[in-house]
Amino acid sequence: MRRIICIGNRYVLDDAAGPRVHDRLCGRPLPEGVELIDGGLGGLDLLRHMDGAERVVLVDAVRGFCRAGGVVLLDPAAAGLERPARLDHATGIAYLLASLPHACERSVPEVLLLGVEAPPGAAEPDEKAIDEAARMSLLAVTTPSAASARSELS
Amino acid sequence: MGTTRTIEVPLNRVEGDLEVRVETTDGVVTDAWCAGTMFRGFERIMVGRGRLDGLVITPRICGLCSVSHLTAAARALDALAAAEVPPNAVRIRNVALMVEHVQNDMRQAFLMFAPDLANQAYRDVELYDEVVRRYAPFEGETAAQVVRQTKRLIEIIALVGGQWPHTSFMVPGGITSVPTTGDLLQCQLLLEHFRSWYEERVLGCSVERWREVRSVEALDGWLDESSAHRDSDLGLFLRFARRLGLHNVGAAHEQYVSFGSLDLPGGDGQLVAAGFAVGTAVRSFEQEKISEHTAYSWFEGDEPLHPSRGSTTPYASGHEGKPYSWAKAPRYDHVPSETGPLAEMLVGRDPLFVDLVGRDGSSSMVRELARIVRPATLLPTAQQWLADVQQGEPFYSKPTLPDAGEGYGLMHASRGALGHWVRINEGRIDHYQIITPTAWNGSPRDARGRRGPMEEALVGTEVRDPDNPVELGLVVRSFDPCLVCTVHMVDRDGQRSSARRLRVGT
Repeated sequence: MRRIICIGNRYVLDDAAGPRVHDRLCGRPLPEGVELIDGGLGGLDLLRHMDGAERVVLVDAVRGFCRAGGVVLLDPAAAGLERPARLDHATGIAYLLASLPHACERSVPEVLLLGVEAPPGAAEPDEKAIDEAARMSLLAVTTPSAASARSELS
Repeated sequence: MGTTRTIEVPLNRVEGDLEVRVETTDGVVTDAWCAGTMFRGFERIMVGRGRLDGLVITPRICGLCSVSHLTAAARALDALAAAEVPPNAVRIRNVALMVEHVQNDMRQAFLMFAPDLANQAYRDVELYDEVVRRYAPFEGETAAQVVRQTKRLIEIIALVGGQWPHTSFMVPGGITSVPTTGDLLQCQLLLEHFRSWYEERVLGCSVERWREVRSVEALDGWLDESSAHRDSDLGLFLRFARRLGLHNVGAAHEQYVSFGSLDLPGGDGQLVAAGFAVGTAVRSFEQEKISEHTAYSWFEGDEPLHPSRGSTTPYASGHEGKPYSWAKAPRYDHVPSETGPLAEMLVGRDPLFVDLVGRDGSSSMVRELARIVRPATLLPTAQQWLADVQQGEPFYSKPTLPDAGEGYGLMHASRGALGHWVRINEGRIDHYQIITPTAWNGSPRDARGRRGPMEEALVGTEVRDPDNPVELGLVVRSFDPCLVCTVHMVDRDGQRSSARRLRVGT
């Protein structure tokens, strides 16, 4: 099983990109073997959707990776995420990803992070960026390998 | 002449908008300030909305204790409508709440608190290598097991409530779903599985054996009794905490409040008692004695008010000088009061904790111990209540919600006393106030200038290395402060950013 997991807070404008991409994809036919998940603010609790998956594309708002409104495909291992020292009430992706090798009971998925660069200040994500992220998430989840997704979409 | 310096405790670098600042003289904390640095204002969001909207909106206050907020919101509406909640619904509500508490207790103890025990500051302390082997983030044997076990456990809430976190399955008069026999069996299996792990890994003995530990002597006897006890996570915690002297630090005012929780299905009374304790002397609880102080908070109004009359109106000109927190200062009978599992144990007259606190007072060790062993009470009771569910009997009894009236919902959340106060007028909410557990524990000073419990607990703590003040982290984290993620975003120079995005209290 491959999964697109959209994360973020739909009530906070500059963090709403993930849920908006989810809404855009919701109801559309998905490629066979692909599931779409509204991950919200699940943090560590998204583990159950990752454990045993073949590949997971996380869609989230990012800041500092490209121009505002741009969409970028990141290799989480190379994205410069600081390894958190402990679980706290703020830890999200970084703690989740660092936990995968130790906490997965079935198999550890390939993970790609599709980032939608947040606009400056508390502004809504650009409609075109949401469309682009929806398109790229489907490509990223269906390419033969994560490496090919990175080379084709980066 | 001593040397005085100020330390900004680096807690806030990872935990967002709780800022803790202390002053030390010759390496000992002489004063402390806990500041909530973010205004959230859920109370204001509620005004003007429909009567039931608190069931959907207020669970969003917290990603870790959303069932607690749902429970408080539902209880406030139960009271408003004078609803009779069928025993089946009480059982299922309780089980969901207990599961949330247990996952919180295990994650807090072993993923949030224990990493401080593995701090390199303690590398020369006996047992350190074993502590690192178990509690080092991610690789630690216990840490990895806690992630796996709690992931399974909360499936129970998803089974009975549809989702976790942020379910809204409780409504005035009961719950919205009727679990099937299969659902209930699956919940039982998940609970049994978790209990087996908890007994083997955390306690090193059965729940029944642990509950025979009713005094300090019995605790020492339990430790000496077998290597399974000594080498369990509880045994290791006790032995290492004593070596670090955690039993001698972290005492606050020795005043404790519990709102009570977990109604007994079909009967009067609650599993978790309500009350107020000074040391180990317990008094009856009167909700009228709750007040919120704002003298040191960025809110309008100086007069301490009961939450049914208080408001949450932010005011900060930048020139006031005195205020330093966006958290109010709740007080019970006008005094600062600590809340949480330890308060629950003392108000409930648990013999072990009455003996521990009666002899040596409170401490970071005792506070954390109360959290680690709380599942020993919750798990068997949750199993019993699940088994008692009567298929064919109602899970909901439709109440009549009035167009005007007041109600309040009090309960004991994972971190302690939580209350929602609601007033309805012309079919809409015209007043809503919330007091969270961390508002009690992490409160700023009150109208009389008295510190909040966490501030008080920090005073007297020795800090050996101001650049690595791990001692302060252990004191603060023994309260399990709630710092809720309202937003997450990956920043290039960090993990999902917490700066400016978390809060303490509401």
